[in-house]
Amino acid sequence: MKLESRLWLRALYARMWVRVMSVFNEPLWIAVNIGFPFFSSVGLGLLYASTGLRSFVGFAILGGIMISFWGNVLWSMASQFYWDKQVGLFEVYLTSPAPMTAILVGMSLGGVVNTVPSAVLVAVAGWLFFAPPLSPSWLAVGLTFALTLASLYAMGMMLSSLYLAYGREAESINEALHEPVSLLSGVYFPSIGNFSPFPFSVQVFASLIPLTIGMDALRRALFFSQGLSSIYLHLIALSVMGGALLLLASKTMKLLEQKGRREGTISVRLR
Amino acid sequence: MSSVKTVLASVRIGWYRDFGWTNPLTGFLMKTIAPIASVLSASIVYWLGSSAAGTFDPSHVSYILVGAALYTHVAAYSWVPSQAISEGKWSYVFPQVFISPKSSTPFLVGRSLASFVTSALTSLISLAFAYYVAASIFKSSIPFIMTPLSMSLLLGALVANVPATLGLGILLAAYTIFASKFEWALPTYVAGLLMVFCEALFPVSVLPWPLSAFGNVLPFTQFIRAAREAVVYGSLSAYSYYVAYCLLGGLLFLAVSLWAYRWAERQGRKKGIIDRKVV
Repeated sequence: MKLESRLWLRALYARMWVRVMSVFNEPLWIAVNIGFPFFSSVGLGLLYASTGLRSFVGFAILGGIMISFWGNVLWSMASQFYWDKQVGLFEVYLTSPAPMTAILVGMSLGGVVNTVPSAVLVAVAGWLFFAPPLSPSWLAVGLTFALTLASLYAMGMMLSSLYLAYGREAESINEALHEPVSLLSGVYFPSIGNFSPFPFSVQVFASLIPLTIGMDALRRALFFSQGLSSIYLHLIALSVMGGALLLLASKTMKLLEQKGRREGTISVRLR
Repeated sequence: MSSVKTVLASVRIGWYRDFGWTNPLTGFLMKTIAPIASVLSASIVYWLGSSAAGTFDPSHVSYILVGAALYTHVAAYSWVPSQAISEGKWSYVFPQVFISPKSSTPFLVGRSLASFVTSALTSLISLAFAYYVAASIFKSSIPFIMTPLSMSLLLGALVANVPATLGLGILLAAYTIFASKFEWALPTYVAGLLMVFCEALFPVSVLPWPLSAFGNVLPFTQFIRAAREAVVYGSLSAYSYYVAYCLLGGLLFLAVSLWAYRWAERQGRKKGIIDRKVV
């Protein structure tokens, strides 16, 4: 038991270390990651400002910060095993004694660490450029942020298992998913609650995405000084989603791994 | 004549690359979802901000719908030459193209034209779809001129913008000959710069000088203005001015880009980097 948990932690650390070093040994990665979130924050921030309502500009900057993590989940979590399969790394994972869940969690933690610099740069640049009004409840912001990332990366782990079943279409699926999920999750505007432009049925559907709940709670905590007592339902929902997605990720990974072994498709290059 | 054949063959390769992994309808739908979401996001941001500020103007929704749909259109096909080179280096297609009797330029032009047709269709569909969705969720009548003439003018503007976008694409391709990593990140920068500097969502006058002056002279800005004149404001004289500016500016830009690409290609040959693998 002790040996197993030690192996699990070592595999986690190893996968996280590789991911973190890949970015911090190549600072250009930060420049690569910051492009989309920075320009979309500035563009939509200026759009908010041009309507005459500067107080909502913060929504665009917060959106830019969180879109960095969503992009990382999609491109570096969900489709990671697809790239790994292409270069022959995935079969190394499977034949090694390293537990797959440890590799997934290590990949997630590494992804979070790697995305933090570009998210911080978007936050600093946005704050310097627009100086949006804040009214934060920092404890609630911190807790919501942590739980949102946890459930978002748990979703990434589940998607990474599902992507094993896909080939070249993984890229197209990512391109097709990025914007609609941003729209439904209300990355740049409230997509659930009183200010939502969407009908109730769409809001219910959007609430199934952890990013939707997280963004709503973050906006309340950061701009409307709502504390833990106001957003505790969001936090419970995020915790439940995170746990459920982790469980699903583990199940789907096992299922698809077995399918891949049976059909002999694990080491098949797709291009 | 044989160059035309090369371009047509490259158009076919481009479509095969984009849709070969699935059936054309699914592939096309997958390519349409993202622009629809992007156009709706921008219009909802405007609706939310302006409703709260009490400045909501339905004609400004049309302004944003057209701008958001068209900047994504330019972004979608301007990076195709760069993508063709980086993918081609990785899959050894590009060195094959390079040693074939034809220059790589017709190959890149063909790939861009294939993507132009696809993204023109997806942008127009996303514009129409977003228009109806926006009218329904904002519960407002959004002005939009939809006549055979206005649609023809819009198509004319799309075609007039091809040289400028091709110029941008070829310029990025010239850079990609030298790049061996991270060139795949260029599209995010191209899309972001177009969003901010090409009057996609707000007038360039909002930007501080000299950024506003820079945005004002870009052919892409004139293209989006021409498209708005065609389907929102309806001034034929303003449309003609913007289209002519976009076309002439685009041709000039294309000439400079082709020169830069030829230079990059020669340097690539000399330095032996044409088949350097992308990592």
